[in-house]
Amino acid sequence: MTDDADRSAGPLAGHDRPIVELRGLTKRFGAVVALDAISLAVRAGEFLTLLGASGSGKTTTLRLIAGFDVATAGQILMDGVDVAALPPFKRPVNTVFQQYALFPHMSVRDNVAYGLRMRRVRAADVTTRVADALDLVQLGALGDRAPRQLSGGQQQRVALARAIVNRPRVLLLDEPLGALDLKLRRAMQLELKRLQTQLGITFIYVTHDQEEALTMSDRIALMRNGRIEQLGSPTDLYDRPRSRYVADFIGETNLLRAVVAGTGAAPGLIRVEVAGGATLDVAMPHDAAWLARAGTETWVSIRPEAMTVCADGHPTGTPTPGGARPGGQVVLAGTVTAAVYAGSIVKVHVALAGDASVVAHHTPATAPTPAPGSAVRVMASADRAMLVGA
Amino acid sequence: MSGVAPALGAPPPSDAGGAGGAGGAGGEPRDPAHRARPATRLDRLRARRGWRTLLGSVVPVSWAVTLLLVPYVLLLAQSFWRLRDGVITHELTTENYRRLFGTPLYPATILYSAGVALRVTVISLALSYPLAYVLAFKVRRHRTLMYMAVIIPLWVSYLVRAYAWKIILGQDGILNGLLLSVGLIRAPLTVLLYSTAAVVVALTHIYTPFTLMPIYAVLDAIPVSLREASQDLYAGRWRTWLHVTLPLSLPGVVAGCTFAFVLSMGDFLAPQLLGGNDSALMVSNLVWSLFGVAFNWPLGAAVSVVMLALTLALLAVAGAVEARGRYGQVATGAVAEYAGPI
Repeated sequence: MTDDADRSAGPLAGHDRPIVELRGLTKRFGAVVALDAISLAVRAGEFLTLLGASGSGKTTTLRLIAGFDVATAGQILMDGVDVAALPPFKRPVNTVFQQYALFPHMSVRDNVAYGLRMRRVRAADVTTRVADALDLVQLGALGDRAPRQLSGGQQQRVALARAIVNRPRVLLLDEPLGALDLKLRRAMQLELKRLQTQLGITFIYVTHDQEEALTMSDRIALMRNGRIEQLGSPTDLYDRPRSRYVADFIGETNLLRAVVAGTGAAPGLIRVEVAGGATLDVAMPHDAAWLARAGTETWVSIRPEAMTVCADGHPTGTPTPGGARPGGQVVLAGTVTAAVYAGSIVKVHVALAGDASVVAHHTPATAPTPAPGSAVRVMASADRAMLVGA
Repeated sequence: MSGVAPALGAPPPSDAGGAGGAGGAGGEPRDPAHRARPATRLDRLRARRGWRTLLGSVVPVSWAVTLLLVPYVLLLAQSFWRLRDGVITHELTTENYRRLFGTPLYPATILYSAGVALRVTVISLALSYPLAYVLAFKVRRHRTLMYMAVIIPLWVSYLVRAYAWKIILGQDGILNGLLLSVGLIRAPLTVLLYSTAAVVVALTHIYTPFTLMPIYAVLDAIPVSLREASQDLYAGRWRTWLHVTLPLSLPGVVAGCTFAFVLSMGDFLAPQLLGGNDSALMVSNLVWSLFGVAFNWPLGAAVSVVMLALTLALLAVAGAVEARGRYGQVATGAVAEYAGPI
């Protein structure tokens, strides 16, 4: 927990005023609400990701910060100053575009020099700064090329160099790796993170790829229908999702329909009844007390890797299958329907009572893989079975 | 394939190549058991395709030969024939060309025509670039409608449009009537019609859509993100236009200007209807009078050949400029080959 808090605060923690702050930011396109009064404070030096499916409002948010679109309502503060009325060329941010948007009629060097020249930086300084920026993205030798002579990955680096050469305090990135193949994307993720840390620039990064978001971000704002569904560190979102949507969007999970029955056997645990009649004690997210009211219909989320599968009658586990133990173990009884080999793990599909089913990641090295048709118990530590909002 | 072909009576190699290129290779039987039957069918298909190719090329080739190549050759030949006592004799001479360049009238008319064409081109460009810009970037709704409004005059007969200007600019015309009623003039102006200005105005009206269309097309093809990137990099609207939009729209500008210049320089009717006296006649009118009135076909042909040569030269230059400025091809010519082996 403390680890996460430190990490999410970023390198410039203690700086009170956020570098970018959105207050009640709203954008409507005709009758369509693209952005519904979101508020968000971006800390100086952090890597913040706006994550969401298409149409969730993440790109709209970025375009409003850049100044390409005008907000319907709300404020955009940069260093405490409202910039909502400023055109893009007067805002202290730079953008890396989704399709790079390199100027096709200019060489790589002229592309990178563009921003400096527009700000009338001295020619000698332009030359050195452009060379430095190209070196930084390892394209020092390709300055004379035209953009179309470069590969996708190289064009992406040029776009990055063209933005960071201006030393912006905030860099906006709109799915910058979306057009690259998986292998290149993974390599660029690490390189982007390295650059961000090295240069100390605040990154606001838009992506729909949850894995990318988890890999790179200090904090993630998961967006849905023009609102921020949850804001937190990657571990916050992964381990303590607030809603069924977050749990499902970030990584794989098993969701079990549940009704709150009362408090659990230990502090921090809450008793729920899942479909099929079993009663479980599960963990409650620290900020979700509203869920705890008896009778609330909601969901329990358990990650596949948090589960272990034991053959029925195995000495370990609980004597009362389907119940909860004071030690904080969730146990569910079921029947294996399939065991799918996936390299380092086997994905064991288990049918539970009441039409529910779960997938558990089983490590073959630790125990034999249960055969399809066999009766098993699926177990998870209670603090990894999370009660989430509907 | 080589194993199949002889058994089938050896289809001509050109045929085989054509079938392979058109996806015939995909259907080539690999399994020896299936060789005979489908291959025969394939052979028939090839023969039929060969016929079709032949038939398909005969029509356009003969069309081009009879309607384009032959007339041009005849025109060129005509320009080297001699006119003796009003009779065209088929003996070769360069007299027509010597007379053409030796008599001040002919170069002067060509220059005058070029001057009119240049004015038409400049005005058309000045009118259509801003309009194309607004259409491409500023108009969100009814864009097609507005574009059509500009293009629709093209569907009206050329003659109607030229005559319309006669009605507007004539002595009892709309413009004189308006000026009289407002009280700006006391007597109708006679200088409006039958002047170089009238020709320029009418030609501008007629050929502006031709400059607008290619300019609109290139502007419309420029991704919004490029202009946004420029603004993101501290360039205001004006500098964004100067450094990004303008260079990327140059191919369209060159194409549009070429249209306006070439078409108006060769125009025949507008000067005839609106140009009035002989001094306002353009080179096409000269050619027409040489063929129709003076019956000096060889000299008329020589003027035509010179005009054709000038036009082709202009098109070649425009084509070269356009190719160099085309989207993203900047520096890909020489630089690409230079940078390639490194």
